[in-house]
Amino acid sequence: MSNTLTTTIHAEAIVPMWKQRLRIFMSNKLAVTSAIFLIVITALCFLVPLLHPTNQTDANLAMMNSPFNAPPSWSHWLGTDSNGFDVLGRIFYGGEYSLTLGILAGFITIVVGTTYGMVAGFIGGWVDATMMRFLDAMLSIPYIFFLIALTTVFSRTTAFLILVIGLTGWWGNARIIRGDALYIRKLEYSQAAGAMGAGKWHIIRRHVFPNSISNIVTVATFSVADAILFLSALGFLGLGIQPPQTDWGTMLQNGAELIPNGYWWEVYPLALVFILVVVAINYMGDALRDAFEVRLLER
Amino acid sequence: MLAYLIRRILQSILVLFIVIVITFTLPYFQPGGILAPAYIALGTHISHQALMTWAAQNGMNHPYLVRLWEYMVQLIGHGNLGYSYRNNQSVWSIIALFIPRTIWLALSSFILTLLIAIPLGMYQARRRNTLFDYTATGVAFFLYAMPAFLLCLLMIQFFSFGISHLPSVAPTGVAPWAMFTDPVPFILPVACLTLLSVAGLSRFMRGSVLEVLVQDYIRTARAKGASSRRLLFKHAFRNALGPIITLLGLSLPALFGGALIIEEVFNYQGLGYETVVAAQSFDIPTVIGITLLISVFTLVGNLLADIGLGIVNPRIRIEQK
Repeated sequence: MSNTLTTTIHAEAIVPMWKQRLRIFMSNKLAVTSAIFLIVITALCFLVPLLHPTNQTDANLAMMNSPFNAPPSWSHWLGTDSNGFDVLGRIFYGGEYSLTLGILAGFITIVVGTTYGMVAGFIGGWVDATMMRFLDAMLSIPYIFFLIALTTVFSRTTAFLILVIGLTGWWGNARIIRGDALYIRKLEYSQAAGAMGAGKWHIIRRHVFPNSISNIVTVATFSVADAILFLSALGFLGLGIQPPQTDWGTMLQNGAELIPNGYWWEVYPLALVFILVVVAINYMGDALRDAFEVRLLER
Repeated sequence: MLAYLIRRILQSILVLFIVIVITFTLPYFQPGGILAPAYIALGTHISHQALMTWAAQNGMNHPYLVRLWEYMVQLIGHGNLGYSYRNNQSVWSIIALFIPRTIWLALSSFILTLLIAIPLGMYQARRRNTLFDYTATGVAFFLYAMPAFLLCLLMIQFFSFGISHLPSVAPTGVAPWAMFTDPVPFILPVACLTLLSVAGLSRFMRGSVLEVLVQDYIRTARAKGASSRRLLFKHAFRNALGPIITLLGLSLPALFGGALIIEEVFNYQGLGYETVVAAQSFDIPTVIGITLLISVFTLVGNLLADIGLGIVNPRIRIEQK
């Protein structure tokens, strides 16, 4: 009797952690909806420009084929913009840039931020102090002003924008990860590994990193949303992606100027898509944080 | 507390030094190097002679470290931020012209944000997972996801051309205290900036209070028969205030960043507006001077936040002795 009891307890205890996490994530309906929405939008952004019958890059061609600022019709479901581009097609075309830049820049911020934070938190001492003062300095420079200064100093190509947002967006991430590394380093299992002769690098790789992955994943999700938002702000200031390419920020800016003329189709559909994408990313980040929150796992 | 204070001030000075070095070094990386602005100020076809004269006038013919030293001496000894390439006037005189307007905008929306976000977050934490909480969270997420400029433009569309006729453009060239004598044109800019900050702060306050409410001492207080009102205001509020104060200090750059976008949309001629104008004409000393100044604000803000934290939370005072 007691024997079966122990086995059941044992069997329950070894439900793999990732399954528990997946279950917690899946139980959050909003997050699952967000994930599906993001996958669909991303797929559309990358596939539709290949299939859509209208031209999205050549302004001359667009001008010859379609009227400017035409309201929605059967041939242009969301009307056309002031260059004669089809708005629906343009939304997906701009999304290709916004999403690519957001994801790549977000990825850079998380890789750099994690590395920096881990190294600072783990080495400690004066190295940590120096690295943190540098972070303090960067964090005290207002970010959008810094971006403007950088775009004034450097040229404004797409690759540059990815690099600028990626290489300047990680200050906050590094702080969070460093806090994690400091905390985990002091925990018993890290101390034990150290006492058994494990090197610092081994402890970072096998203990600190896996145990702070929850924060890393969450922070990474928010970084992508932030990168998309900052890119749109640059687009608004005219410092973003340069024509004929476009991104959502630039499109919103162009469209918003035309609201008083009554061309609602150039703003509201895109605004809705943009906000839903960022909201979906944030909801996913929230759900991921819950899924990785150890205290919520079965105990 | 005093030792802690001195250490924090020394730290801030060190950080300020790093900021100065970074902002000073930045222009060296532009295409055409440190002399690039000469082509903007004097035209692209200037002779080598004229270029060198310009470089000498602007003190740019010295090596990096000498220039850095001179810049520091000018900055710290005389409070001189350099000269604008565009207007032939000192960066300080430009800043002095625009700063009161930005301060008014930022300060009034900062106070409004506190007055709205803190009670809202506390109320949400107390009534968590109710319809009100979900609605407020939804709205906050929505606002957080919306680019600042889009919010402004939609607000203009709604309040200037829709249900009311609030001015969509801030008055130009007026004294900063016009906000009190003629407040109507300031309603929309201040409201937009406030909405943007409320979204983030109320969510943070909610989380912070929730975190306190699950602590053991709250359970103890409840067991002793403390009313839920007393629990919320006496225990939860005091303890949740710590993270909020730190966050407020850290959110100053975001406040000024938001102000920049709002100034741009509403044609509100403040520091942010001037930064964008200067950036478009590659007037680097102005861009860098303003950036540096706002960094100093932030550092002072963080310092004040830490002092406030020491006052609110006795543990910090004692630990750092």
